[in-house]
Amino acid sequence: MDLTADLAIILLSAAVMGFVAKQTRQPTIVGYIVAGVLIGPAVLGIVEVSELTETLSELGLAFLLFLLGIKMRLDEVQHVLAPVVKISGPQMALVALAGGGIALSLGFTSMEALIIALAVMYSSTAVVIKMLTDKDEATSLHGKIDVGILLVQDVVVVILLAVMAAGRPESLAEVGTTLAIVLTLVAIISAAALAASRYALPPLFRRIADNKQVFFLIAISWAFLFVLISKEINVLLAPLGIEAYLSIEMGAFLAGLAIAQLPYSKELKDRINPLTDLFVMVFFVTVALDLEASALLFHWQEAVITALVLMPLKFLIFFALINWQKFDLETTFLGSINMIQVSEFGIILGVAAFAGDFVGQEVLGYLTLLALITMAVSVYFIEYNHALYTRLGPYLKRWETETTFEGGKKEYQNHAIVIGYDAVTRNILPLLAERYEDIVVVDRRVDHIQTLTEEGYTALYGDFRNATIRKDAAIKRAAFVISSSVELDVNSALLRETSDEAIVFVEATKIDDARTLYDRGAHCVIMSTRLAGDRLSSYLKVYLEDADTFRQIAKTDVELLQSPDPLPAMHKKMVGGLDG
Amino acid sequence: MVDLLTTLAIIFIVAGPFLLVANKFELPTVPLLIVAGLVAGVFIEEGLTLELARYGIALLVFSFGVGVQFDTVRTVLLDSEIATLGQILIVGSLGIGSGLAFGIPLQESIYLGIAAALSSTIVGTSLLQKEIRRNLVRGRLAQSIQFVQDLIALVLLLILSAETFAMDPIATQIGYGLMLLTGAVFVNRYVFDLLGRLAGGSSELMIIGAVSLLVLFMSAAEAIGVSIVVGAFAAGLAVRHDQDRYMGLYNGIESIKDFFVAIFFVTIGALVAVPTVEKVLLASGLVLLTAIAKPIVTTAILIYQGYEARSATLTSLSIDQVSEFALIIAIKALILGFLTQSVFDAIILAAAVTMITSSLSQRYDEQIYRALADRGLIVGRHGKIDAWSNCTDDVTDHVIIVGYGRQGQQLVETCEAIGQRYVVIENDPVLRDTVRLECEEFVFGDAMEKYTWKKANPTAAQLVISTVPIEPLSRRILNLASGTDTILSADTVDSAFDLLDEGALYVTVTDLLAGEQLVQYVQALIHGDLTPEALRDEQQRFLENQPEDIVPTS
Repeated sequence: MDLTADLAIILLSAAVMGFVAKQTRQPTIVGYIVAGVLIGPAVLGIVEVSELTETLSELGLAFLLFLLGIKMRLDEVQHVLAPVVKISGPQMALVALAGGGIALSLGFTSMEALIIALAVMYSSTAVVIKMLTDKDEATSLHGKIDVGILLVQDVVVVILLAVMAAGRPESLAEVGTTLAIVLTLVAIISAAALAASRYALPPLFRRIADNKQVFFLIAISWAFLFVLISKEINVLLAPLGIEAYLSIEMGAFLAGLAIAQLPYSKELKDRINPLTDLFVMVFFVTVALDLEASALLFHWQEAVITALVLMPLKFLIFFALINWQKFDLETTFLGSINMIQVSEFGIILGVAAFAGDFVGQEVLGYLTLLALITMAVSVYFIEYNHALYTRLGPYLKRWETETTFEGGKKEYQNHAIVIGYDAVTRNILPLLAERYEDIVVVDRRVDHIQTLTEEGYTALYGDFRNATIRKDAAIKRAAFVISSSVELDVNSALLRETSDEAIVFVEATKIDDARTLYDRGAHCVIMSTRLAGDRLSSYLKVYLEDADTFRQIAKTDVELLQSPDPLPAMHKKMVGGLDG
Repeated sequence: MVDLLTTLAIIFIVAGPFLLVANKFELPTVPLLIVAGLVAGVFIEEGLTLELARYGIALLVFSFGVGVQFDTVRTVLLDSEIATLGQILIVGSLGIGSGLAFGIPLQESIYLGIAAALSSTIVGTSLLQKEIRRNLVRGRLAQSIQFVQDLIALVLLLILSAETFAMDPIATQIGYGLMLLTGAVFVNRYVFDLLGRLAGGSSELMIIGAVSLLVLFMSAAEAIGVSIVVGAFAAGLAVRHDQDRYMGLYNGIESIKDFFVAIFFVTIGALVAVPTVEKVLLASGLVLLTAIAKPIVTTAILIYQGYEARSATLTSLSIDQVSEFALIIAIKALILGFLTQSVFDAIILAAAVTMITSSLSQRYDEQIYRALADRGLIVGRHGKIDAWSNCTDDVTDHVIIVGYGRQGQQLVETCEAIGQRYVVIENDPVLRDTVRLECEEFVFGDAMEKYTWKKANPTAAQLVISTVPIEPLSRRILNLASGTDTILSADTVDSAFDLLDEGALYVTVTDLLAGEQLVQYVQALIHGDLTPEALRDEQQRFLENQPEDIVPTS
């Protein structure tokens, strides 16, 4: 039972370089690519691409796109949709023009310049979304504009990849045909995916959503169904005499899109994310595995020059276009400064172009190096975007426009969070509604979410263990949090993240756990067994003093319990009867 | 020739419908994944997925290592080591014996013995979640038996990787194994937190770091010639940590594990060749041994050890399946050439079948027990109940308190404070000493048993008060103590109404009580009658005067 040494080396070197990258505030992607360069033929030459690593990196791409599809909640980006679409078209065209122009002036052939133009027009989803999430800015207005633009770019990437999968075209007409076939296929599969997301998936996922493992595996199964169809589309359509190719990324993306429109997508995102991280890591490490040092560094001067010219140009193009859509100055600045790098999709496109024999390996090396440089540099700009704005804002005042967009979706602030909807927490919801403007209930049961939504509460489907769910509930800004989970780790994580001012109620079954939770800052640890003990003792006392009185009280209590009145009012009466 | 990506796609697509079946009938996923493998085997080449399946095995063992709780290991070893060892010896020998009877050589029959003796943690504990959470005797017992079995499986794997059965190499293997574990403890103590600090809160890096540690330990194991599975276990111990601090890491590991483990089980199903009569016979024999002989033997041992009949039977009915560790051992033996295809196939088939039958036997355990007990097939030891109990035969005007957990203790205190005579009913062996020391009169037996109630003499009692919110038990109490006033506990309001209809005087619903108290506190806080700090102080003061938990919690 021996392991493949290759995969082990990839993992280890990626881990080491990942940690190094983290310490030097570089994106982990840069660390992975560097790791690939180091272990690959360019430097040490200790690892070669095998079928296993190749498959894992293919899976990495598929999962990255699947995940992206899952994130594409149309309702969440709706209000910036129109401006985003208006921005992204001209943006991509202008950046492509700039990139192509630079490439041509650096002496690349026109085909190479075309590929370079197509490869540099996207900004990096991985870098931007990762940084925005880390800085908790993904839901801010500029965050949403950036995410929206990235999504539009991703759709374009997917279509381009599909065109390239068909191989090098011989004439323009052939490109047109390929494009038409691809678009038709994409349209058909999209329609099928969206139809499924409307009719087939909701009942299916409602049934399985309560079973964490089945839910996760079925979602993966769903993704693989689309991956397989896209991969084998040529074989499937061969009997019809149609030659067609689709990228597996396209399939994965559409599979994700179908799931995104379901209420359970958030939970799934957190489950798929780790797998994606792992496989995408393999992808980034193996990108450079194919590259000889000579190929990677062949055009290094050109890559540096391009990076130096392209980044400011990208910023200016974004700034002008976002400004044109009348967003406020700060949003415009932040939205633009975040997007100046060349995307990992640029490399992917380069790989596809190389595989499709559009360009040579040197151009792929150039694109890889370019992406590497711009990503690494842009991370610093994103990290210090606010400081930069404070410094530069005054000089930009003249571009201030009359803003038409407000700060986007409401952010929770001083709200109440209720974790777990059950007999313990149900009755305090109306009470909390008196005091707090927003109440967010987090629960993992589909039927609970339904009930809550019908009663007009904000209900989040998901496991509180997941970081996304905690972030979505804005736990850091909550003023009141109650958890009916008795798991110590969940409650400890909660206490770690709540602010000092927040009032925190948690539940526990063990005395030790309760003590730990108080030490960690809980205001009240509900122990239902203790309460039941108190209550039973008082029943016992009343009964032993006068059994008939007890019977009388018991009868009234039961009648009250059976009445359909809202519970809190009735409970006050019940408690009154026995505690006296 | 089909490539790896297509193979993976087929595995998951074929698994999909089977998973839906598992979900629909509330069956464990493992056996259905194996069955999916039987189907997928037609389309795929297993050779390709074996590599990924290995990672599945590694991650399975890895997360077992991550989940090990050393605090519970101590009480566990007290609880069940003898039962486990005895059961493994007896059922294992039966397995080997029947293998020999089938004309299979001893070397291969040993694997049949292993398959029959070990039970599945994944299937067993997932079925028993409720019992474990409630800290019921049988939940704890089954969990601990399986834990000991898993450890034994690891030792077996160590021995197996010596690739011989001579003593010397085996000793060397165990020595190497211990070396790896020492390394794991070192990493856990000194390296892991450093990694955590360096990762700066990035779950992605922690996950990749943890997976790298896994690979490192596996490579180290390989380098010194020990099974990589042992390396994976050591790696699991190395990254074991406070779950709350590294929640992203553990969630991530779970996702990755679920993915690869699914590949492993489907692959193992796909490895099964077309069944022959001989294989089916062999598999049926193994199924009978596992699903029938094993629970009988376990029950007998547990009863002999002093657990009463019901707990013993119900425990045994949740460990009556073939273990995933037995599958790992089998696949390893197959690869090493110790096992012929037909014996391997029989083990896999038996595993799939018993994992399904086991979830059924667990679902209908109470009925099975009743049916057996009513026919006199399971004999509890009334002598033991008599010997352990301290209760006057003609006790009258007393209160019967069912369960001596926290609530039971409070009720006893109340009775003692007002001089009321009482009898406690409890059956958890861990509580036996406490009950003997703290209670004046008690019956140490199962509240589901007639004899227990006969001793407690409910007809002459004033009141029966139960702290255990289990509906079948509550029903039984209403039945066995009919005519006496009864206060019961229930989990849900619906269940409370049912019990009231059936004659209970009063039923408390624990969650409802907690809800009530919560309403009071929240109201006071909102209206400014109470400050959060005051509430906190009051609560903490109360806690200081509380006794410690007695029942070991797992």
